Amino acid sequence: MISDKKDIIDIVKNKALTYQQKLFNLANISERLLESREILRYTNEEIIHLENHMICDLNEGYAIYRPRYIVADYSTFVKKGCKFLDISAPKNIDELLDGLLILYNHVPSITSFPVYIGNIDTLIDPFITDEQTDYIKIKRFLNHIDKTIVDSFCHANIGPNKTKAGELIIKTILELKNPTPNITLRYNSKVTDKDFALTAVKACLKASKPSFSNENLYHKDMGEHAIVSCYNALPMSGGAYTLLRLRLGTIAKASKTFKEFIEITLPKVTKLMLNMIDKRIKFLVEESSFFETSFLVKESFISRDNFTAMAGIVGLADAVNHFLASEGKAERFGLSSEGDEIAHHIMQTIASNVNSHKGVYVERTKEKYLLHAQVGANLSDEDNYNTPAHRIPIGEEPDLHVHIKQAAQFHKYFVSGTGDLFAFDQTYLGNLDAVLDIINGAMEMNYRYITTYLQNSDLVRVTGYLVKRSEVNKVERGEVVLRDTAILAKGTNDNSKVFQRRIRK
Amino acid sequence: MRDIIVNKIIPFSTVDGIGNRCAIFVQGCNVNCIYCHNSETINLCNECRECIEVCDQNALTYLYNKIHYNEDKCTFCDNCINLSKYQSSPKTKKYTVEELFQVVKRYKPFIRGITISGGEPTLYKDFLLKLFKKVKELGITCYVDTNGFYNGENLIDLIKETDNFLFDIKSIHQTKSLCRTQLKGCLENLVHLLNLNKVEEVRPVIIGDYDDSKNTVITVAKTLKNYPDVTYKLIKVHTLGLKKRANEAN
Ligand code: SF4
Ligand code: SF4
Repeated sequence: MISDKKDIIDIVKNKALTYQQKLFNLANISERLLESREILRYTNEEIIHLENHMICDLNEGYAIYRPRYIVADYSTFVKKGCKFLDISAPKNIDELLDGLLILYNHVPSITSFPVYIGNIDTLIDPFITDEQTDYIKIKRFLNHIDKTIVDSFCHANIGPNKTKAGELIIKTILELKNPTPNITLRYNSKVTDKDFALTAVKACLKASKPSFSNENLYHKDMGEHAIVSCYNALPMSGGAYTLLRLRLGTIAKASKTFKEFIEITLPKVTKLMLNMIDKRIKFLVEESSFFETSFLVKESFISRDNFTAMAGIVGLADAVNHFLASEGKAERFGLSSEGDEIAHHIMQTIASNVNSHKGVYVERTKEKYLLHAQVGANLSDEDNYNTPAHRIPIGEEPDLHVHIKQAAQFHKYFVSGTGDLFAFDQTYLGNLDAVLDIINGAMEMNYRYITTYLQNSDLVRVTGYLVKRSEVNKVERGEVVLRDTAILAKGTNDNSKVFQRRIRK
Repeated sequence: MRDIIVNKIIPFSTVDGIGNRCAIFVQGCNVNCIYCHNSETINLCNECRECIEVCDQNALTYLYNKIHYNEDKCTFCDNCINLSKYQSSPKTKKYTVEELFQVVKRYKPFIRGITISGGEPTLYKDFLLKLFKKVKELGITCYVDTNGFYNGENLIDLIKETDNFLFDIKSIHQTKSLCRTQLKGCLENLVHLLNLNKVEEVRPVIIGDYDDSKNTVITVAKTLKNYPDVTYKLIKVHTLGLKKRANEAN
């Protein structure tokens, strides 16, 4: 959305933001001061659909000067070091961890913090020499990240194979209980050692990470990839230029009939979003100097032709519930087979529009943008009416086996990521195998990503990222906090009661 | 036996064997332990209809010589099952092998297997034999949670079909007073299953200062000495006045 000069002074006077948060906010405001008609050649119709909240650009700004998500191949650093930063290839664990920390400072993203910091166990493992001292070093490394990359969208990957470094990383997760980095175990039940997976389950229950991604499925759909930000799956050595999303609940409310929605409104709004994505990418590639100037490109950490873009959705549940209600049905999305049918009809319509659109500069993903089940945000009042992704609204969740099966049928649409999170009670700690059975079952049903936490832990997964409950309480009292994700979390909790998710007993 | 009477089904249980298991509690037991915590599973309903009086939600009705239970109306207040004198429940449900199999199949992707608990599952041995054969076609395991009071010779086929047992040992010498039964042979049955490598967990019961508890714990521990993989879980029961009642029953 367009900003105005008043936004600048509001940020400057804000009592709840740190200096750094103000700086990034001011930069974002300046990007949104520019006229999108001029700079991106958005049409009036496109702008109207941003302003009526049917399409959301997640406040990405109009003068785009870096891709939204960068998936740098850090193994390049291990092999060659970095000329631009004048660091030679690391010879020991100290040089490796130091070098990576320096490099992270120079990997931009939409939030200005890196959303991906590498498959850290495979990066570190060859450098392990002494388990005890290396453990302390890894702990310091991860703690440093938590205190300097103050944004929980920062994501590390581990696995799928068990390594010594992987085990040490999980040990530190349990000890530090930090929100950042978000960590995902790229899990393949046929490849990942079972004991390693069980230790990961334990850490996931006690420290809300690592989460589990379906390595097999993602590899089939995307080849070399990484899990970044919340649970986005993106091509390795590339990333995503941009992400726009459809607020399906809002679009549904504005349509008189389901027929009008599915045949006219939805295809039209989807097309407008795709056009805007085209324009954003063109500006970034052709007019901003990013791909010509970044050392990440020059030194092959990333390559322009490995980038893609994401077409997101939120509010599938709300759109479905709107049409069920308009038919006079008392059923709700999640426990209604008719609701599921409507949902598939909606998703197939979006998917066929997205897949028949020839994307620009997205050779890596066959000239198509990828559907993404966006986890939600709090950028307009309309976000109160749009449940994240294709999720069942909190408070209406059915029994776990019903819930997982219901959600699983929609995972196939979202190649660039979707996932679900389940809060468990304490008894599961006594039977980690039981949690792994549930994860295995979900993956067997082609779940892309699943994560859990214990209901009483301080670290809570909001929609895709982690926050400390205690930090959100501070935001509620108007105090300054280190991570702006705690601020986002407050908004999301106000909207969708994430702290009251159903507990599985 | 065509049907099984089920007291309740817990789709995902974390405490009925390793992994996520569907726990099916059958109705009916062959003993009557003085400390039983789900004593409403002990007897089959005798259709006395007294429970209908205490259900203020109209969840229970009597029709065609049978008690009918309407789960939609039930508030789970448990007034009906607390009518302890009959140690039964009006909330049970009958299943054929096929019906119960279909229930299990719904949970299949997420469970490692099923555990039949109770009540005493071995009372339904023929039914279970058929059920287990079908369930195992799904590639998941079948466990039995038993009190050990059974005649091994009658159970040869079910034991063969059962992947693992969870085994309660109530008492070595005082089953008569504690379980109010003349049945014997639990320890021998346990040893037999151990030899077959079919025991996942053994649970002796410790009741306050009940005379036989210590002996039971030690005897079972000795029995398990050569089976390090078998979980040995001590179940402590806090019940005041049990000893007195048990000794009175002697
Ligand atoms: S459940 Fe109990 S109280 Fe109700 S009819 Fe049966 S025996 Fe009587
Ligand atoms: S538990 Fe249900 S059936 Fe039993 S008395 Fe209460 S409401 Fe009635």
